[in-house]
Amino acid sequence: MNQLFPMKQVLGFVFSLLLTTVALAVYFLDMSFAAGMTILLVTAFIQAGLQLVVFMHAGETKDKGAIYTNVFYGLIIALVTVFGTLLAMIWDM
Amino acid sequence: MDFFDRFAVPHPSIAIYASMAAIGLTVIAVIAGLTYFKKWGYLWREWLTTVDHKRIGIMYLLSALLMLFRGGVDAIMMRAQLAVPENTLLDAQHYNEIFTTHGIVMILFMAMPFIMFFMNFVVPLQIGARDVAFPRLNALSFWLFFMGAMLFNISFVVGGSPDAGWTSYFPLAGNEFSESVGTNYYMIAIQIAGIGTLMTGINFITTILKMRAPGMTLMKMPMFTWSALIANVIIVFAFPVLAVLLAMGTLDRQFGTHFFTMDNGGMDMLWANIFWVWGHPEVYILILPAFGIYSEVISTFARRNLYGYKSMVGSMVIISLLSFLVWAHHFFTMGQGALTNSIFSITTMAIAVPTGVKIFNWLLTLRKGKIVFTTPMLYSMLFIPLFTLGGVTGVMLAMSAADYQYHNTMFLVAHFHNVIIPGVVYAMLAGLHYYWPKMFGFMLNEKIGKWTAWLLSIGFIFAFMPMYVSGLDGQARRMYTYSEASGFSLMNMISFVGAAIMAIGFVLIVYNIYYSTRYESRDISNDPWDARTLEWSTHTPVPEYNFAILPDVRSNEALWDAKKNGHVLFKGDYEKIHMPNNSGIPFIMSCIFFVWGFSFIFSLWIPVIVTTIGIFVCMALRSFEQDHGRYITVKEIEETETNLRGA
Amino acid sequence: MKIDNSLPLEYSTEENSLKILGFWIFLGAEIMLFATLFATYFTLENRTGSGPTGAEIFQITPVLFETLLLLTSSFTVGLGIHAMRIGNKKAMISFFSITLLLGLAFLGVEVFEFVTYVHEGATLQTSAFTAALLTTLGTHGAHVTLGFFWGLFIILQVKKRGLTPQTTNKAFIFSLYWHFLDVVWIFIFSFIYLKGMM
Repeated sequence: MNQLFPMKQVLGFVFSLLLTTVALAVYFLDMSFAAGMTILLVTAFIQAGLQLVVFMHAGETKDKGAIYTNVFYGLIIALVTVFGTLLAMIWDM
Repeated sequence: MDFFDRFAVPHPSIAIYASMAAIGLTVIAVIAGLTYFKKWGYLWREWLTTVDHKRIGIMYLLSALLMLFRGGVDAIMMRAQLAVPENTLLDAQHYNEIFTTHGIVMILFMAMPFIMFFMNFVVPLQIGARDVAFPRLNALSFWLFFMGAMLFNISFVVGGSPDAGWTSYFPLAGNEFSESVGTNYYMIAIQIAGIGTLMTGINFITTILKMRAPGMTLMKMPMFTWSALIANVIIVFAFPVLAVLLAMGTLDRQFGTHFFTMDNGGMDMLWANIFWVWGHPEVYILILPAFGIYSEVISTFARRNLYGYKSMVGSMVIISLLSFLVWAHHFFTMGQGALTNSIFSITTMAIAVPTGVKIFNWLLTLRKGKIVFTTPMLYSMLFIPLFTLGGVTGVMLAMSAADYQYHNTMFLVAHFHNVIIPGVVYAMLAGLHYYWPKMFGFMLNEKIGKWTAWLLSIGFIFAFMPMYVSGLDGQARRMYTYSEASGFSLMNMISFVGAAIMAIGFVLIVYNIYYSTRYESRDISNDPWDARTLEWSTHTPVPEYNFAILPDVRSNEALWDAKKNGHVLFKGDYEKIHMPNNSGIPFIMSCIFFVWGFSFIFSLWIPVIVTTIGIFVCMALRSFEQDHGRYITVKEIEETETNLRGA
Repeated sequence: MKIDNSLPLEYSTEENSLKILGFWIFLGAEIMLFATLFATYFTLENRTGSGPTGAEIFQITPVLFETLLLLTSSFTVGLGIHAMRIGNKKAMISFFSITLLLGLAFLGVEVFEFVTYVHEGATLQTSAFTAALLTTLGTHGAHVTLGFFWGLFIILQVKKRGLTPQTTNKAFIFSLYWHFLDVVWIFIFSFIYLKGMM
């Protein structure tokens, strides 16, 4: 039975539950907007990285250079799009 | 009757009735012709179901040429309407429809398939591959694009064309101001074509990253392949934005949501914002492959290797990132603060740097070259000065403070035509002349070709330079007429003359194809231009499997190496070759998409549901299908090779 | 077809490794698809018109259930791939079935959530905020629905054809898709729900 539950994935799952619990603190505890957003940003991106490496095996073949470049390129453009839109449409309007 | 009224054109004119008759007659003629010559089977087996990248490329080319003339007729009608003040050739509504369809057809259904043609036909040959990574997906990409384009074009005679500009800004494009189904056509037809384009992007990145010939490292790829890779990277990250945008536009128009409306919190500016998040990278999707073609042509006909290979690659990578960082320069006057405008001004001007690097690299390639003035080279030589002019006016427009003067005037129209025509269209024509012999086994006539290039350039200068002047004088774009007192008459008349000269040039292209088909020699070698890259090392016509033996590559000019340094490209013996099977599913699925799109546009929900199920059934069939392709035996390869060598 | 036995079955042919890389690139496109939806949502978040705000309609209980269901399903699909790699077809099918059941339960909770919203007067047509919210959630939900049927077809194929280079390749790609949907959910959970209720 142990064979079916590799340590790495079980630990990954436990860790992701832990991160979810930490994120929930922003709901149950009273804190400033800035502190809350910091917690959310940190937990969300760690969770995403966890899925990518532990569960999605992004780095297991010789294509890992292409895969990581692709994901990071997408991430950078995604962030530019979200924050650029907010800048032009709300913060600096 | 109400039901059928929706399919009628809201603002019919004689031109539209004539087009209806022409479209009807053409369809009947094509069906009758295919039946009479018993070509249905041939059409189905060799074209509709093909997964061969070369044939798919040729179908892209045919669609692009067809659309070039559709968009060209729109253009000449616009210039004719504006040739004299207070003209009544077209009314305001008709003019609105024409500038809208001109923009969409030229960008999405002419320039895009043209670059898709080059990528499909050239990239696998240039990297020494036998096909693309996902041949069947490639067929689906083409057919989705084609059905999207056809769906868009029938708007002209069924239900009415879109009329809110190619940018389709809300609130103008919302239900309140665009009541006809025209803008629904815009949302759905572009959505279908866009899905096809996104899949092409994924397909070609995978192809270029994984299927290069042995020895061809990334830094030994020919420049066109590099430009195709970068353009496809931009496609993959830009087209999902368009998909979401169009979906939200559809929801607003057909499901009563409030994304871009004027009430209940809707924000019309958000449309413009997201449109250009896609729209600006789109510009670079068009221009980068064009740069790639110029690089190939200039290096071939200067008889020198491309100057500054690494800086060419580097500048394209930088352009691909910067292209996503400049979109707000399309709406400097919308009301955001100085901070935003300054940031986007600076990023926009920064793009001029890598572009300038490329221009200098081409000039330095020419230096000390033994230049041969063929038609493709003539286009490239006309491109450099004319495009630089367009680039310089681009930097003018990039200054947000000055942009308040230029915004929405003919100055802007002159600028973007000045980069797109010498930049993209000339590259497409140069590439067409350059690759024609590889496709069809004969050259296009050089004399007619050069006449065309000169006519287009002279026509271009007459058509667009006056717009800079009238634009700075305050002539607004997209106005269907102007008064005598405005003083715009002379400039617009010169523009019309220029447009007419360009029209002659485009007709000459068709004449050249006809003339060359009849009279040009079929006795040409595999390498008629004395070129440098792998696509010229295989036979003409190219056999189905491209290369009997995969080439061994040592530099970014593998064929030149073989010709000048005695490098042996093809080593070893023939082995059986694995090829994909043809499939009818891409074509059938795209036809279902066409019906789905048409029903969606007219909110006919029962056919929408039926066709949606049809699409998913096609996908499920594909999932369960077991198709391992087929093998071409060594004996068949030997026969083909002997035949081709003998010919 | 050349088979390279040094690699896991799902990578073993040339075609297989092309498909896996191609799917990663597709996921890159999906990142931008959801980024556009997030950009829209954040822009329209406070533009509620005459409708309710996020703080008024969000409830922590269904959201927590959805999160736990999806996180667990992401874990089980990972175990399914592990079982597949050690050649245990039965365990793989079980893990995939559990994954799909969890996905179905997630969809059930989401439908319940949507019905509640509609009852509270937050429909697709209410305001810019509700349109952006329901479109973002709906796009994710549609992905999960599509994934459910896709996964179902793959289980059927594995049952019928066993663990071949083709079926394992499909299953592995499906697992990438499913994990990615979990990643998207983490961002929805953090930046739509928790931020809205903070």
